[in-house]
Amino acid sequence: MTFAHHPDIATLMAFSAGTLDEAFALVVSAHVSICDQCRHKVRGMAAIGGALLQSETGIDVSEGLLDSLLQAADEVEPEAPEALPETVDLRVPVPLARYVGRGLDAVRWRFSGPGVWTAELPVGRNANSRLLLLKVAAGRKVPEHSHGGQELTLILQGAYRDRFGRFGAGDLADHDEDVEHQPIAEPGDDCICLVALDAPLSFRGRIVRALQPLIGL
Amino acid sequence: MYAAVMSEATIGPYSMSKAPEDPAVLLSRISGGRDKAALASLFHMFAPRIKSMMLKLGADPALAEDLVQETLLAVWRKAHLYSPDRGAAATWIFTIARNLRIDHLRRQTNRPYTDVDDIEIASDDPSSSALAERSQVVSRVTEALQTLPPEQQEVVRLSFIQDIAHAEISERLGIPLGTVKSRLRLAYDRLRPILEDLQ
Repeated sequence: MTFAHHPDIATLMAFSAGTLDEAFALVVSAHVSICDQCRHKVRGMAAIGGALLQSETGIDVSEGLLDSLLQAADEVEPEAPEALPETVDLRVPVPLARYVGRGLDAVRWRFSGPGVWTAELPVGRNANSRLLLLKVAAGRKVPEHSHGGQELTLILQGAYRDRFGRFGAGDLADHDEDVEHQPIAEPGDDCICLVALDAPLSFRGRIVRALQPLIGL
Repeated sequence: MYAAVMSEATIGPYSMSKAPEDPAVLLSRISGGRDKAALASLFHMFAPRIKSMMLKLGADPALAEDLVQETLLAVWRKAHLYSPDRGAAATWIFTIARNLRIDHLRRQTNRPYTDVDDIEIASDDPSSSALAERSQVVSRVTEALQTLPPEQQEVVRLSFIQDIAHAEISERLGIPLGTVKSRLRLAYDRLRPILEDLQ
C-alpha cells in the first residue's frame, strides 16, 4: 500500500542505522510494515551500513575465536524464521500486535479530557521513549500543542486534519520539537493513533497547562 | 524481473562464475551444505571489521569479541534465510550485527526490525528483487560515500557505525538537530540512485 504521509528521510535513516529508541522504532516499523515505498527505502539504506562495515579497518581478533565459533556452529541448528504474531485486528500492523495482542477493542482507555482517551503501552526498562495510543472522538480537537521533543504519530483508524493536511489510516506524522499543530478528528470513526514521544508535550495557555497532568500526554 | 536482473548481470564484471570469496556464495554454501570452511572464510572477512565496529560503540574488547562470535553464529544459523535478491551479503551481515547491538548494548528489543524483515520475506513484493544480486552495490555505495562532503560522511558514520542517535550527534558536534537531519537528507539524496536502484 502507499500512503500520503511518511516518516522523514532522516527518521528512516535512523531506523535503518538502528539508533531509534524503542517506541520510535516500533512506530516506524509499524508504518514500514504496511508501506511498500518506505520498506524499499529502508532496505536500500541498510546498504549504507553494509558499505561502512565493509570499509572498516579490521582489528585483529583473539587467536582462539575462530575455533570456538566453529565448535559452537556444531552445536546449533539452523534457525527457523520466527512466527509473526497472528493478526486479530486488521487495524493493528504486525509489529504493533506484540504490544496490543488482543486488538484495539480490548484496549483499556483512560479518560484524558473531553473527547480524548489515552492508553500507555508498556515499553522495555531501558527505553527513553513512551509509546501510547491516543483516541480522539470524531469531530473533536486535540488541544494545540508544541513538542518538547520528537513525536511520531501513526494513524490506525479514522482520520484527522491539521495545518499539514489530512492524515488517514497508515499515514505517519513526523514532527520535530519546533512544530505546533492542532489536529481535529474528522467526522465518522473516532481517530485512533499510535504515538511515540521522547518528552512531555507542552500545551499552550494556562488552562490547558493546568489540565496537562490530567490529559497525561 | 529475474530475467532483467540476469541480463544486466551478464554485462557486468560478475558475468563469469563468481569468485570463491564472494560472501553471497559463501552464504549459499552454508545454507546448502553447512559448509564450515565457508563460515571460516566469512569469519576472516568480517570478524575483524565487526570487532572494530563494536569497539567504536563502547564495547570492551571481550564483549566486542562475544558480539563478533554471536554475529557470525547468527549468520551460520540464518544463512538459509538470506536471499541475494534482498541486498548484498555485507548489508545483510550489517543488519544482523546491528540487531545484536540493539539487543546487547542498548538492551532494547530488536523485534521491530526482525518483524519488518520477516514481513519482507513473506511479502515477496516485486520491488524486493530490484536491488538484485549485486555485491557491487556495496562498492558503489562505498565510492559514493567517499564523494560526500566530509560533514555529511561524518553524520552518516556516527549514525550507522557508532550507533549514536541524532540528538546526541547534535550535542557532540555542537550543531542544531535540524542540521544533523538536513545533512543526512542531503547524503541520502546523493546516494539515492544507487540505494533505490534508480539508475
